[in-house]
Formats: sequence, C-alpha cells, structure tokens
Amino acid sequence: MNARRQEDAWALLELIGSYAARELEGEEAREAEQMLFNRSDHRHLAESYARMLVMLSTLSVEPVEAPEVIVSYAVRRAYLSAFLRQAEQVIRGLVGDYVGALTFYFGLRPAQQ
Amino acid sequence: MSAKDHAAEDRDLVIRASEGDVEAFTKLVRDNSSLVYRVALRMLGNNDAQDASQEVWVRVWRNITSFRGESAFSTWLYRITVNTCLSIRQKEARREERELGDEVPYLPEPSGGDADPEAAALNAERREEIQDALQHVRAEHRAALILRHMEGLSYAEIAKVLDVPDGTAKGWVSRGRAALLIALAQQRSQENMGEGDVS
Repeated sequence: MNARRQEDAWALLELIGSYAARELEGEEAREAEQMLFNRSDHRHLAESYARMLVMLSTLSVEPVEAPEVIVSYAVRRAYLSAFLRQAEQVIRGLVGDYVGALTFYFGLRPAQQ
Repeated sequence: MSAKDHAAEDRDLVIRASEGDVEAFTKLVRDNSSLVYRVALRMLGNNDAQDASQEVWVRVWRNITSFRGESAFSTWLYRITVNTCLSIRQKEARREERELGDEVPYLPEPSGGDADPEAAALNAERREEIQDALQHVRAEHRAALILRHMEGLSYAEIAKVLDVPDGTAKGWVSRGRAALLIALAQQRSQENMGEGDVS
C-alpha cells in the first residue's frame, strides 16, 4: 500500500474509531454515520471497535493490586535515604564545628562575638 | 472520602514527605501503589511492571520537593509513571507497530457472549491477548490509549500527563485505538490460521 493510501486508510480507521468511542459531534458524526450506512465493512469495523472498547473497559474495572514487595522496597529506600540525609547533616555539622575550632586555634579567623 | 478530600489529603502527605517524613511517604505509596503498578503493567507487561513501579517510587521520593501542587498529585504521579515506562521501553529494541493491510481489521464476536460489559468478563486468555496486542502499539500512543480508555482520564488530563497539546493527546489516543484494533485482529487471524493447520 502506498503512503497516500496508508494515510487515507488510517484516517478512515481513526474516524470510525472516534465514532465508536462516541467522541464525534456534528458534521463529523454525520459523516461517519453516512459511511457506516453505505458500507457493510465499515459497519463491521465499528462493531469491532465497540467490542474492543468493551474489552478495555472490562479490563479497566478489574482490580489490580501492586505486589507488597514494591511497597516495602519503596519504603525501605525512603528510610535509608532519610537516614543518610540526616547522617550527612550531622557529619557536616561536626566537620564544620571541628574545622571552625581548628581555624580559630591556628588564629586564621577571629572568634565570633 | 470524596475526590476533593482525597486530593487535599494527598497534598498534605506530599508536603510532609517533602520535609523528610517517611511515614507520610509510606502512606502515599500505600494509597497509590495500585495506580502505578496498573499503568506499568499495561504499558510494559508482566515482566517489567514490578521493576518499573519500584523505579517510579524512587523517582517520586527523589523529586517530591519539586511537586508544587499546581496539578493534582495523581496527575504528577501518572506523569512520572508514564515517563519511567517510556524510558524503560526506549532502552529496549523498538517493537514495530503492526502495519495496516488492504483489508479492514475485523474482530469477530466472542463465542458464547455478546458485547454487554456485564457478560464480557475477560478470561485469562483474552486478557493476555489484549496485553500482547498493546505491546504492538507505539509507546506514546499506547500511553495515551491506556490513560483514556483504561484510566478514564480526560483529554486535558492526558495532555498534562504527557506534556503535549490537547490536540496531540487526542491524535495519539485515536492512533493508539486504531493500532490496537489492527494488532488484535491480526492476532485473531493468526490464531484462526493456527487452528486451521491443526485440524
């Protein structure tokens, strides 16, 4: 199939798909209805879309539970990350104090008032 | 709890989590883990959904201070989930979208059932069939299709999640729908040919 025909075929397919999904209004809806009225293969296409959309919506209401391992992994990582952040702050504070004391000891900076 | 209350609670949890409160983050994960896993499962299939979901939560924790509450937390979470799934897909060999042949794709009516949603409880085989067919839809189109027809988002919400104009979101859903129908119809016809070979 050449590019132009491919493009036209996709456009037709998408138009009927939008009609089946009840997303068309006004002139577009009338155009799609005319196409369905005129050709049985287009009606079959619309029926196929309707079946597919029913399958998707049926699948979408089925509950999906995330495995517990995902939750526990995420929580573990968050605790570890929070611990490391706090540890970093403590170390940074300690090192800062130590460097400050050394600086003062060697007389590189006057003591703060 | 109403959607508004839920959104307010999420916002409160996000503020606390961004201040380093792991308990608040844990609650966010528990409340929203099925959303993330569900989308990852539809986008990537069984094999990668778990790893992708874990990666999503790592990214959420890492970036939670950047969430400013301009959109709903769920929109932000959908965006991180879809982006994570798309980046995982990009690392793999690109799967070809099924080509459109000369014939109009056709899905026969399932045996013993009609198109009534009540009656159309999906068996495991059909669920797998949809999952396989979804993998033949281009990743961006698949994401848009899933958000529209499986997550029930509006086009405006899809556009926000995918960070594209509304028209593009609409176009991607439309193309995704068509591509999924082609993939399903081709799978069915291959199955039928296979059955013909056996008998």
